[in-house]
Formats: sequence, structure tokens, C-alpha cells
Amino acid sequence: MSNEKYYVPHGTYWPIIGSIGISTLFVGFANQMHGVTWGWPVMVLGFAIIAFMMFGWLGTVVNESVGGIYNSQVDRSFRWGMSWFIFSEVMFFAAFFGALLYARVLSVPWLGGADNNMFTPELWEGFKATWPLISTPSEVGQGGVTWSTNFKLVDTWGLPAINTALLLSSGVTITYAHHALRAGHRNALIAWMIATIALGAVFLGFQITEYGHAYHDGLKLTSGIYGSTFYLLTGFHGFHVTIGVIMLTVILYRIQKGHFDSDNHFAFEGVAWYWHFVDVVWLGLFIFVYWL
Amino acid sequence: MNLIVLALVLVIFLSLGSALIGLLRGGKQGSDKMFKALRMRISLSVFLFILLMFASFMGWIEPNNILPTQ
Repeated sequence: MSNEKYYVPHGTYWPIIGSIGISTLFVGFANQMHGVTWGWPVMVLGFAIIAFMMFGWLGTVVNESVGGIYNSQVDRSFRWGMSWFIFSEVMFFAAFFGALLYARVLSVPWLGGADNNMFTPELWEGFKATWPLISTPSEVGQGGVTWSTNFKLVDTWGLPAINTALLLSSGVTITYAHHALRAGHRNALIAWMIATIALGAVFLGFQITEYGHAYHDGLKLTSGIYGSTFYLLTGFHGFHVTIGVIMLTVILYRIQKGHFDSDNHFAFEGVAWYWHFVDVVWLGLFIFVYWL
Repeated sequence: MNLIVLALVLVIFLSLGSALIGLLRGGKQGSDKMFKALRMRISLSVFLFILLMFASFMGWIEPNNILPTQ
């Protein structure tokens, strides 16, 4: 760590492998969308190449870090890299929450004729603005056919509240893990990490169950603007929880390998922040979808 | 009640942002700042969840359980 010169990475083949993986994934995806039979297998192959690249590339970085090659300049660049990643994540979810807000507060009332201009009431005759709106305004809704069905959402105090309690508990356990790491309590750290990973996994299980209930009750991705935004937000959130659980598992493995001490544990801090972020996004979902 | 909930969500976001600044700064000081901000974040979130349960029990706030029908 004494060398404070700018760190220039060595030549590596991982970026090109990543590019091949992403290209393969998208070629497979595009063909799958067109109903080509080899679409799915090519997609899976692309995904496998990306997973292989991440395992190899991140493994190289971990080995370099443990090998003491990195100096404080590299530490700063990692912190900035993490910050830009987080910025993109915040913007990503802000766009979806923005879509939910726009649809609910502006566009749906406009379609119902609320204070927009003189044209909107005539667009879809008989349309009344309701929320949640689970059918898209179209000819289907005209002529006495109802715009929304008699439909009961999953009870807020059922799975959504249990899932909120689970994720908040995982936020508590990772905070205890963080404290244990800073205090040098290795066994407590490992125990709290295992608890956090378990809570995240149970959350995902319940989320899949809730999707099953919702689909069975008729709430689908095609169920109007509400169905679309509901599944986009909760689906991408679930995807992030999955990534978080994988990252926490890698960190647990690195803890057991003795990669961190009470002063140097940037990887843990990055993942811990990410987990707190995913937790806050869920809290936002719970409040804006189920409450306000 | 809605305003209280929104205000708490805002403070939770600010704590998370404060933790990010700590993460970016690094070192002993940054690490301390990050940990304290995250601890504040989770404490407020748990408080908000309990507050929602209590407010719902008292009838101060209603969840969006059922779709309106026509």
C-alpha cells in the first residue's frame, strides 16, 4: 500500500468475454421474442457466459485486493465507482416511482376529464378515473362494460406487511453485522450475515407466493397501468433483492476467508449500503402502493 | 397522517444519502459517518412500520385493500 502512483490495470480478456456474453444474451432474447426455438438456449448460454465473466473478473479483483496491490488511489476510485453505480440505481427506481406518480396523479385523472383540456372527456366515453386502474382505456371499456372489475388486492396486512417486516429485520441484522465487523467480533458477524441472507431468501420466497396469488386473482402485467407499474416496480425490486442476496453470500464467503478487518472492509460497506437501499425501495413500495 | 409518513420517508432517504457520503469519503471518519447514518436509517424505518401498524389500528389511516368498483 506504500505505492501511491496511479494504478494502471494489466491487460485482461474479461471485458471481451463480457461483451460476447451480453451479445449472446440479446441475440437469444430477440429471437425468443420472435418465437425462434433456439432463442431460449442461446439466452441461457449468454447468461452463463456473463456469470462466468463476473466470477472470473471479480475474482481477479478480489485476489489483487487481498494481494496488497491496491493503494489509496484505487480505494478512492472504487468508492467513486460505487457512488456512480448507486446514482444510476436511484435514477432507475426514481423513473419507475415517477411513472407510478404520473399515472396516478396526472394521466388517469386527465383521462377521466379532470382539469386538463376540453378534449379528454371525449377520448373514452364513460371512462371514470379510478385507482388502482386495472384495465387500459379502449373500445373494450365502452358500451356499458366496466372499466375495472370487482377485484380484491392482496390484503395489505397479509404478505406485503410480512415481507416488509422481513426486509426491515434483515436491515436490522445487517446493521448488527456491520457493528460486529467494526468491533472485530468475527463469530457474531458471521451469524448476523447468515441471518440477513436467510431473511432475504425468505422474502423472495414470499414474493413469488404473492405473485402467484395476484396472478390467480387476475392482476397481471397487462392489467392496465396499475398492473404494469406494480409488476415493473416489485419485479425489478425482487431482482435487486436477488442480486443483494448473491452479493451478501459472496461477502460471507470472503469474511470466512478473513479478507476484512475492522478498518478495511470497503466491499462489505458497499454491499451493506446496497442492501439498505433495496430495503428503503421496498419501504417506498409498501407505502406508495399499499398505503398512500 | 399522510404528511407524517411522507416526512419520515424523506428523513429515511436523507439518512441513506448521508451514509453514501460517508461511503464516498472513506477512512475512519467516513466509515463512522456511514455506520451512524445507516443505524439511523433502519431505526427510523422500523419506527415508521410500527407507526403505520398503530395508525391503522387506531383508524387514522386506511390501506388500499380493495379496488373501487363501478
